[in-house]
Amino acid sequence: MSTLLTHIAITDGKIKRSSLEVLSRCKELADANGHTVEAVVIDANASSYTDDIQKYGATKIYTVEDPVFKNHMNTPMLKALVNVMNEVQPSLFAFASTESTKDILGALAANQGAAVLADVSSFELTDGGIKAKRPVMAAKIMSNNEAKGDKVIVSVRSGSYDLAENPVDAEVASISFSMSDDEMKATLKEIISASGDTIDLNEAEAIVAAGRGVKDEEAKNLISELAGLLNAGIGASRALTEAGVYDPSLQIGQTGKVVSPQLYIAVGISGAIQHVAGMANSKVIVAINKDPDAPIFEIADYGIVGDLYKVLPPFIEEIKKIKS
Amino acid sequence: MKFYVCIKMVPDVYAPIQIKDGELIMDADRMVLNAYDASAVEEALVLKEEHGGEVEVVCIGPSKASETIRKALAMGADKGVHIQTTGEEEYDSGSYARVLAAYFGDKEFDVLSLGKQSQDTDSGLTGSMVAELLDLPYATNAVGLKADGSTITVKRQGDAGQEMIDLPTPCVVTCSNDMNEPRIPNLKGIMASKRKPVDTIELSALGVDESELSAKTKVLSYEEKPAREAGKKYEGEPDEVAREVAQLLDSEANVL
Repeated sequence: MSTLLTHIAITDGKIKRSSLEVLSRCKELADANGHTVEAVVIDANASSYTDDIQKYGATKIYTVEDPVFKNHMNTPMLKALVNVMNEVQPSLFAFASTESTKDILGALAANQGAAVLADVSSFELTDGGIKAKRPVMAAKIMSNNEAKGDKVIVSVRSGSYDLAENPVDAEVASISFSMSDDEMKATLKEIISASGDTIDLNEAEAIVAAGRGVKDEEAKNLISELAGLLNAGIGASRALTEAGVYDPSLQIGQTGKVVSPQLYIAVGISGAIQHVAGMANSKVIVAINKDPDAPIFEIADYGIVGDLYKVLPPFIEEIKKIKS
Repeated sequence: MKFYVCIKMVPDVYAPIQIKDGELIMDADRMVLNAYDASAVEEALVLKEEHGGEVEVVCIGPSKASETIRKALAMGADKGVHIQTTGEEEYDSGSYARVLAAYFGDKEFDVLSLGKQSQDTDSGLTGSMVAELLDLPYATNAVGLKADGSTITVKRQGDAGQEMIDLPTPCVVTCSNDMNEPRIPNLKGIMASKRKPVDTIELSALGVDESELSAKTKVLSYEEKPAREAGKKYEGEPDEVAREVAQLLDSEANVL
């Protein structure tokens, strides 16, 4: 019997749903293979999250609590994770694939001499490691991979697994942490926030994404109205973030965020492969584009050929009616 | 300032790819400089233009990888280092990181940069691995870079927004291709690149134990991605098709 440990990521005072998806998967694998599933939360207020974490089946929850974790910085996060691995000795340490995770995954693996697979879309246990599928070559191809060793680290794309509640009474244990100023290798000067009320695209159930066709305030307002109506996050193609129309943190694609919401509405997006690489795993894709030959229509479940200025207002009106 | 940029030769992801018996079949002539590494080269060149210094590129790969080094030299890098492999090795990110750490162990520099990931595997692990092995401060996913004396200010894309981080030199930075538009070498650059020095180093000369390089992860096979079927395209009066699709999202797709 060995320990499958899940890292529970916190952003803006909330547990990332994608971490709970990974915990749900680890619980399923642990039950099927006679292993234990545990979780670790590293945050300035780590202990406040344990009640929510135990709903998903972790029998032991480790907390690492220190004000330094108020903002993500790789040096303290790495130190905490190394402490955790040394103390818990998990055979598998699983993360949700987020920007903060990508920042430390390689360093943690190098520190621990662990095998690591990043950004997988599914994984299972094998004798002495894991097997996992990853999208490669701009997400055009799937690769089947294995990672072997007594320590294996994996990060999992959001939306790869469903949440499964398995409430338990978890034991909570804190792992001590301290860090002096001179251990901090870097200094965080400033966080430039997109805007306080933006919905996290990795967590969003629905996303309205704007592309090159969205050129002016009128179009932006239509996007905002539709997103507000659906409680959706707003995303953008690279063309629009580069043009400064939307904040760079909203970029979806191979370079930006990789998302997998229930509903993805692509407005004025042609569907270049770099963009598609970031959203092709959405459950239902709606495309609105005036070019009937736009490649986005090849992957859209519902394609509307038309000018967004003419299509969006009646689309919004109809959704309002349905919702009311 | 001394900049080292680690570059990698990768298959062109835009070239046609086939899978046969679980293996990737692609046009061997379509190998390119990893796009993210090209952004790292560009950024180093811009900082060199501002502050002076030298940009040296380092590439691990088989003899064909010399073309990738020439590309970076044609962009304007001053020197190249080619750490030669046979091309038959089964290396993963950890193996590459070990080789780079061995090479850089005794080197002096201000910034060691590389792309945030390779465009073929999209793993994004090597940069932070190298930083950890060399015990250097680092930042990943940089979208902006400024140099000021012995401090490098990195603007990085994080989860909750963009983070401005000061790193003391020497440091490691991994670059996003959102950072800049890499310059396309002109004829003068291409001609000049032929005269620029490239050191060739045998892997064995770095004193890395082969066993340390054995990959802990490997690709067992490749397979087609289950294709997403194109759904229905609705053309006609905007009012009508918009209403129809909204209705279907509710009654058929169940996502409203």
